[in-house]
Amino acid sequence: MEPKARTTETRSNGTTSDGDEAVALESLQFTDEIHRLISAPSTDNASSFTALLELPAPQAVELLHSPESAKLIAAPAPNVEDIKGSFHFPSNTGLIERAARFSVFAGDSNNNNNKTGSAETTSNNSSQNPQKEVKSEPAETESCQPLVSDPTVEKRSIKRKDREKKVKGSTKKSKTAANESSEDAEKLPYVHVRARRGQATDSHSLAERARREKINARMKLLQELVPGCNKISGTALVLDEIINHVQSLQRQVEFLSMRLAAVNPRIDFNLDSIFTAESGSLMDGNFPSMVMPLMWPEVQVNGNRQQYQQQWHFDAIQQPIWQHCTRIK
Amino acid sequence: MRSPGSLKQEFLKKWIMGFQRCSSSKKSMSVLDRKKAIKLSADIAMASARKGTTCWSRALIASASKDGSDKHLVEQILGPESERLILMKKFSTGALVCSKRIRSKKILKRSCGIRRTRKCAPQAALASSIAKRLVRKRTQVLKSLIPGGEFMNEVSLIEETLDYIISLRAQVDVMRSLAIASELVNHN
Repeated sequence: MEPKARTTETRSNGTTSDGDEAVALESLQFTDEIHRLISAPSTDNASSFTALLELPAPQAVELLHSPESAKLIAAPAPNVEDIKGSFHFPSNTGLIERAARFSVFAGDSNNNNNKTGSAETTSNNSSQNPQKEVKSEPAETESCQPLVSDPTVEKRSIKRKDREKKVKGSTKKSKTAANESSEDAEKLPYVHVRARRGQATDSHSLAERARREKINARMKLLQELVPGCNKISGTALVLDEIINHVQSLQRQVEFLSMRLAAVNPRIDFNLDSIFTAESGSLMDGNFPSMVMPLMWPEVQVNGNRQQYQQQWHFDAIQQPIWQHCTRIK
Repeated sequence: MRSPGSLKQEFLKKWIMGFQRCSSSKKSMSVLDRKKAIKLSADIAMASARKGTTCWSRALIASASKDGSDKHLVEQILGPESERLILMKKFSTGALVCSKRIRSKKILKRSCGIRRTRKCAPQAALASSIAKRLVRKRTQVLKSLIPGGEFMNEVSLIEETLDYIISLRAQVDVMRSLAIASELVNHN
């Protein structure tokens, strides 16, 4: 195992000083060695290096062949869990670090994350991947249910997004390294917030900033919802638009209820007759054909009563009301 | 994401139910009374479609059931009594907690504001303070618009606005199509 370890050492040392092309050459040679190692049987416990390489080898191969940041982040994610499950961490943690560093440097030129020091990246790699895995789920759930979301999960995901943004935006290595080392020590349930360069790091401003980010995220959702808000920048104007929209909707409700009250001498709406009548008159074109399809896209226009009831999925309790309604005629 | 179609269906169901109960109680009503009844049953149906998950719906139902005349309508639309009681409890406790929280936050802000000093150019400070004042004014207006909005903090206010806008849109669509359809029926 010794000579192999030494060769990897020299390889990794060599790559630190080489340019991209040299790195590519070295990577090819490294992959050859990896393949050899994989093919060689590695069942003994003493051969921890091969055991180490066996599992991250496909991951490392992927990393080496495509030195893009996306792969760096995405590809290891499914493998990390397997690794963590079946790994017995030997004394060759130095080897792991070096291997990781090598694979990280393979994608150095394109990866923004590698602005920070190597030590941080190794710790980051192991800690980031499960976090990113977890992050994708809350992000999905957030988009699915923006209103019924768990506040702690959201906070975590939003703060992890913050951390990503800030990692990419940070310029000074030392400051971010210091911040990272202090805040990476915290465990997952705690909230991770990275201070930007030149900003205070006391808890008040951090919490306030987190709150601001939350509010801004919600405001973006609102902007998408309200028509015509996308082009406007600035909170006050967006709020103006939202207020106008809500007021107009409320006014429309008032007018429509007045209209409905004027139409019928008594408050009863015979939906059955409405729907049998509309089948004839809908084809005129006077009727805003947008409205009905919007409302009941699945209901056929010529629906008879049975179909309509099916669409509604009335249970037995509701049906007497329906029949009562038709009898009121 | 809640499908808008099912929301509208549920709203229409409950709204029609409200109509039946309303018309069975009173025989002849003026236009304005009818309009009020229609609007009220529509609002309550909309709020109950949310089933107490959102603050504005609870506030709407609570304010509707405060007047004695509309209480029975609320009860009938909502169904069993227990649901209404739960909603009332939620809303009342929420309001109390929120008002206390707001008061304590104001005290904290006042005490913290004395410590913090702003060190930026006077023009920047002026611009930012103007912008902040505008935003605060707008949020006050928004709070007055949304039912039960007085008690919420900014984050939940925006969430409630989102949900409220979606529900209002569904309500408007349903009402409009019903109005058009019934007008067609009456004219034919």
